[in-house]
Parts: sequence; structure tokens; C-alpha cells
Amino acid sequence: MKMLKASIALAALIISGAAVAGDSPAPKKAYLYIGWPNDGEVIRSNNFKVWFGLRNMGVAPAGVDKPLTGHHHLIVDAPLPPMDQEIPADRNHLHFGKGQTETRITLEPGTHTLQLLLADYNHVPHNPPVVSRKITITVK
Amino acid sequence: MNKFFMVATMLVALIPGLAIAGDSPAPDNARVYFLWPKNGTTIKGGKFWARFGLQNMGVAPAGVVKSGTGHHHLIIDADLPSFDEEIPADRNHVHYGKGYSEGRVELPPGRHTLQLLFADHGHFPHNPPVYSEKITILVPAE
Repeated sequence: MKMLKASIALAALIISGAAVAGDSPAPKKAYLYIGWPNDGEVIRSNNFKVWFGLRNMGVAPAGVDKPLTGHHHLIVDAPLPPMDQEIPADRNHLHFGKGQTETRITLEPGTHTLQLLLADYNHVPHNPPVVSRKITITVK
Repeated sequence: MNKFFMVATMLVALIPGLAIAGDSPAPDNARVYFLWPKNGTTIKGGKFWARFGLQNMGVAPAGVVKSGTGHHHLIIDADLPSFDEEIPADRNHVHYGKGYSEGRVELPPGRHTLQLLFADHGHFPHNPPVYSEKITILVPAE
């Protein structure tokens, strides 16, 4: 009995360890990037456009379960969230569930980081996760 | 009977005249445009990614019925097609039905025009139609 319990605990540990991404597959050549602004950009307005670049995958609104698609999430001034859970929705994690491919955001003057994370119809990142490089910008 | 036929014929004749755009509404502030290339760009080799800009609407793959969405079509070296029919699919009318927001384009040397036309789940332009400015690019001879 003790042995069984230990095995179950071990199995649970292995399973949770394995869950490093969601269930929706992404092609290896999927490429997500911030098309604008560029890394290091100095922006002279606190309201500016961010354009979402995505190659070899498509955009679909949240709730639409279609293979090799997802919707954009813009992570502002925060590290990447866990890859095996729904992406949080707050001021640091902006969801674009209507299938938008660009946005305008307003940020206080200072240095900020931006990063894109694609996620499936359920807001869970793909497997493997499709993530952009994290860029740093300065708002003057 | 003859009279019925005449009325029926007249109605059929009127219907296509009315259908100047598809049935899917687009917001008045919807805008589609080229992020890249810009009008007048010279592209050596003629191979490039065209980046599609879209404001105040979303992208959805073809076949997905969702208001305020559609998918991109790139019109190469051709005029805008009729707005009350499915956009043709040929080398001058490239469909991005998988929900792509950019497309790989390869063009031979010469002057070329590019224009974007957004369309709904059934490949019909919206009402009002959402299309970009027609731009001209140049691929120099090698």
C-alpha cells in the first residue's frame, strides 16, 4: 500500500513535470515576432502601435478550435507566464481574442519590455510554445 | 402565366444590381493596409514577405463565421474584383484562408501592383468592402 502510494505520487510528479506546454501542436517553423517597434526603439509618444508578426501559422479568434492557429497575447513588463496554463488576463498580459494582428497601447514614460506569446482557442500556449523575442523600448 | 414570368425575370434582373457588396458588415473605421512593402519600394530579387496591416477588425481562417473578422487576399497585378462575388483564386488573387497576416511573394523583374482585399468566411468582401491602397513596387532586372 505504501509502495502504491509512493508510485502514484511519483507518477503525478512525472506527469506534472511533463506538462510544460499545452495540447495544441505548433509547427517547428512557426515564427512569432514584434514587427514594430524594434528592439531598443525610443518612442516619443506614450501611445503607439504594436504590430504582431507571425509566419507559418494563422490567426483565429479565441474559442475557434482550428489546427495551426492561435491568437496573440502581448506581455508588457512581465516575464513569460507558465506554458501549461491559461495565460492570465491583466494589465501585463493583454489578450487579442478577436483575432487582431496589431494594437495601440499607452505606456508611461520610461523603459518597458514587450513580448508576444501565441495561444490556442483556450488561451493555453502551444506545444512547443510560440514566443517572440523580448524587446526593450523607451517611452520619452 | 406570361405576366408572372415577366415579373420573375424583372426581379432576377434587379437582384444582381443590388448586390454591390457581401452580407458581412464591416465597421466604418476598418482599415487594411501594407505595413511592408511601402508604395514605390524597389525589391532586389523579387522575393519578400508582404506584411498585412489591419485595424479595427480581426483575422479568422476561411470558413469561420465570426462577426468583425475575415481573411486577407493579395491582389497582384490586377484590378479589384467584383465585390458581390467570391474573390477568384488564381495567381493574381492569392487567398490567405489559414488566417495568415503576412505572405511570401515571389515576383519576376518589372513593375508590379499589390493591393489587399479583406473578405468574410465565404471569400466575399464585406459591406462596406475593406481594401487597401493599390501600391506599386519595382523588381530590378538581375
